[in-house]
Amino acid sequence: MSVLDGIAIVGVAETAIGKLPGRSAISLQAEAGVAAVAAAGLAKGDIDGVFSFPGYSQAMMLHAARVAEHLGLRPELAVVTDVGGPGTHHTALLNVAAAIDAGMCTAALCTYGENGISIRRSGRGRAPGTLTGGEDFEAPYGQIAMISGYALFAQRHMHLYGTTSEQLGAVAVTSRHHASLNDNAHKREPITLADHQSSPMISSPLRRLDCSLISDAGGAFVVTSVDRARSLGVPYARVLGFGSAATHHTASQAPDLHELGGPVAAARAFDRAGLTVADVDAVYIHDACTFSVVAGVEALGLCGEGEGGPYAESGALALGSDCPVNLHGGMLSHGHAGGVFHLLDAVRQLQGSAGRRQVDGAEVVVAHGNGGVFSTFSTMVLGRDR
Amino acid sequence: MTDKPRPDLNDTATAPYFEAAARHELVLPYCDRCGLVFFPPREHCPACWSRDLSWRPVSGTGTVWTFTEVHVAFYDDTWADDVPYVAAVIELDEGPRLLANIVESDTGSLAIGDRVEVTFEDRSEDLTLPMFRVVA
Repeated sequence: MSVLDGIAIVGVAETAIGKLPGRSAISLQAEAGVAAVAAAGLAKGDIDGVFSFPGYSQAMMLHAARVAEHLGLRPELAVVTDVGGPGTHHTALLNVAAAIDAGMCTAALCTYGENGISIRRSGRGRAPGTLTGGEDFEAPYGQIAMISGYALFAQRHMHLYGTTSEQLGAVAVTSRHHASLNDNAHKREPITLADHQSSPMISSPLRRLDCSLISDAGGAFVVTSVDRARSLGVPYARVLGFGSAATHHTASQAPDLHELGGPVAAARAFDRAGLTVADVDAVYIHDACTFSVVAGVEALGLCGEGEGGPYAESGALALGSDCPVNLHGGMLSHGHAGGVFHLLDAVRQLQGSAGRRQVDGAEVVVAHGNGGVFSTFSTMVLGRDR
Repeated sequence: MTDKPRPDLNDTATAPYFEAAARHELVLPYCDRCGLVFFPPREHCPACWSRDLSWRPVSGTGTVWTFTEVHVAFYDDTWADDVPYVAAVIELDEGPRLLANIVESDTGSLAIGDRVEVTFEDRSEDLTLPMFRVVA
């Protein structure tokens, strides 16, 4: 018996995504939060826990207390998690589950989002490069952007396994196709492999269309017990299994590709869920770059080690395949605000509310991926209640 | 032009690394208890947590473990005069990996596995950084 048994995500919401001049990160999180509570069939007075993460563009201390103050809430718990990538949201779920088990909370609001575009124009934001932990031994060499860290891994994958830029391009093209089915996506115009190949090199071997977007956006979800969720009369997703792994912080101190934490986190989550990847109807992989998806499909066991490139090129990522990937469009095309949107869309698939990108009859959906530069990994297995 | 990021030269755990670099020497911390040579420097051995450490000169030779050629000056104009530049993870012959730029080399044909050797860039009056160049 785990504290995660009997935990449900019952309401999800996201704001408009793109350039939202003048919007603070806190206002985006609050807007999404209010909408998520309504989507859960709950009211303000039902929320007795706030879990959040400020995002790196407008970092602050005690951020969850700020969200609570902003929304006029005085909860017992106002907690920030910063695990990196999807681990931040997944670990918030773990914290909520523990709080519910301890009798400290009955329904928690979890908010995320940042104004990555607009904060830079205002001159008040911080570059993530000042926060990555490589200040002494990486930043003096110009290793300051997250994408350069990912490029180091993509380059090594190409060297070890023969992965090609065209295979990474297949990830970008599929993500944009999925985004074209999502009216709230930041970038919806279809792209071709030729567009990918002609996009400018950013940090080799990654081109512009290999990079996730920078967006102004907010997203939020509400967590409660399955018993409570059932009483609300709205669709919800149930937590089936969760796994994590942490191997390093800065890019240069990473273990080799086959020793990264992705397969370990995925195996832990599947084991705890009592399921295998064959049971999964769709996956959502934190796509800071196209290569993250290649690494992700390998980690989840959708293909073998080193086979992620050909797997992507085969069309296996697209809606209509056995296990489509990033149906909302991912951070490559839908939007990037700390990566919460993967979890939100995983829930929508299980609620049956994903519209044109819905996988018919989806029963098990997985959100997976890394924080930092493949530093931490997190896998969350969600299911429709049966 | 914004100044490039600088390491903290007053951190007692790492200062000897940069003091040696200023003498154009590459040194790494060595664990006197378990024999591990490691990087980055810290006040204890990451393998056995011993604080009995000493600094040892290393060969300064290694191989390119991976690399990226950075084409964009991110965030501001700090690196505008440097792009494109190569940031590489070097696996030293003694085992540890570190990140540095590949300089004084034709990087157009740079490949993982290339042999490299240390060189030094005197970036300012008080700061010297180890760099690497390809060995023909």
